[in-house]
Amino acid sequence: MGVFVFLPLVLPLTALPIARLAEQHLHPRVTTRLLTLLAVVLGVCSTLCLGLLVVVGTAQLPGNPLPDGWSDPEVRAAVPFAEVAGIAAIFALAAALTVCGAALRRDLRIRLRAHRALDVLPVGTDPAVLPDDDPYAYAVPGTPARPGRPARAGRIAVSRGMLRSLDEDERCALFAHERAHLNCRHHRYLLAVRLAGCVNPLLLPLRSAVAFSAERWADEEAARAVGDRRLTARAVGKAALISRPAPYPVAVQFAAPEPGPVPRRVAALLGPVPSARTWPPALTPAGLAALVAAAGTAASALSALNASVALFLVLKAATPW
Amino acid sequence: MGGTPFGKALGGNGRDRARRGQGQLEAQVLAALHHAPGPATAAWVQERLGDDLAYTTVMTILSRLHAKGAVTRERSGRAYLWTPAADEAGLAALRMRRVLDGEPDRDAVLTSFVSALSAHDEEVLRSLLARAEDDGRAPGPAPGPGRAGRSDEARGG
Repeated sequence: MGVFVFLPLVLPLTALPIARLAEQHLHPRVTTRLLTLLAVVLGVCSTLCLGLLVVVGTAQLPGNPLPDGWSDPEVRAAVPFAEVAGIAAIFALAAALTVCGAALRRDLRIRLRAHRALDVLPVGTDPAVLPDDDPYAYAVPGTPARPGRPARAGRIAVSRGMLRSLDEDERCALFAHERAHLNCRHHRYLLAVRLAGCVNPLLLPLRSAVAFSAERWADEEAARAVGDRRLTARAVGKAALISRPAPYPVAVQFAAPEPGPVPRRVAALLGPVPSARTWPPALTPAGLAALVAAAGTAASALSALNASVALFLVLKAATPW
Repeated sequence: MGGTPFGKALGGNGRDRARRGQGQLEAQVLAALHHAPGPATAAWVQERLGDDLAYTTVMTILSRLHAKGAVTRERSGRAYLWTPAADEAGLAALRMRRVLDGEPDRDAVLTSFVSALSAHDEEVLRSLLARAEDDGRAPGPAPGPGRAGRSDEARGG
């Protein structure tokens, strides 16, 4: 398998250009799906290869339960720097799985806590309007059924402070936005990219890109539902201006900083409807970036497959029975 | 013992109190909490109710109310601070507040309508909205763009 086992660990780098460029060239729905798919494939391949390295590394440890033949020189020869890489992979995989588990638990805990908070209100009350002067609006994703606990549908929680600052039409846009989050199951994409970022930190930039494109996607759905892009832009802008937290110390900036997500969303809503094409035009930076990402993901999948098959054959040969 | 309006209003003297049912005590404790200037400790409630209620009794009642969701509590040092949950919506708001305050990562799970703005973002956003108003609004009365912009700026500065 040679160096192929290491490739999927670094190939996530090929997805970074498209993560940056997709926003400007693709419909947010396409961007969200494309980037999530890339993140999941790259993350799975990277974890698979880490797992292969762990097998090789564990086989070298004294007292391991694996067959003795698995620590033979032939097996070690299959992986470059087998000693170091194997041991490092054990730690890396343990860390990745721990972080993943923690992220999953936290996700479920926050959902459950939010649902429990809203449980006192009758189920039909959607959106749940909470008498709180702090302006906020959240889409609380549903939770799956578990033994002893029924599934819960997603809910929308809006504070009175938020509603007070918006007029009737803007409220419709707000509700349409939150409902789009729930209907399009954005939390699944967000969870998938978050887990991908946990298993390979090189995928972390995809996480913020998907978080942004999911917001844009919901904005577009809201604009379609209320039939007015400018109105939706105004709702987002007004909500952001009243939600602004107390001024916090801003890091020293050397150049004009890039506008944050909210101004970019408002600017996009004030611009034209994004085209529904599923792939950026070939001879543009975005098109090339998409190609690079596709090639990188394919290479990653092939490398992982190659490494798995190679290790399987080597281990099979080294196993006495 | 003079300044205990709830005890007087609801209970009369201490001997009567002993015969009173749990429900009545719960109502009394809740009433006391509603009159508290803010979150109150059990000791404050005890003092407010006065007479011969034991601290442990107050704690028991508060815990029972808490189990029913009629009051909320937050830890402050070694004691709890108790707050009445006004009504269902108020209770939901209080609980939601605790989730939002207690989970720094909540935005990763609960998709918020908008994220925080930096000072620079705010500037960009205001100019974007102002331009949108200028472009979109036909000449007419209503909250004009110029006036809205000025008042916003006054608030922001």
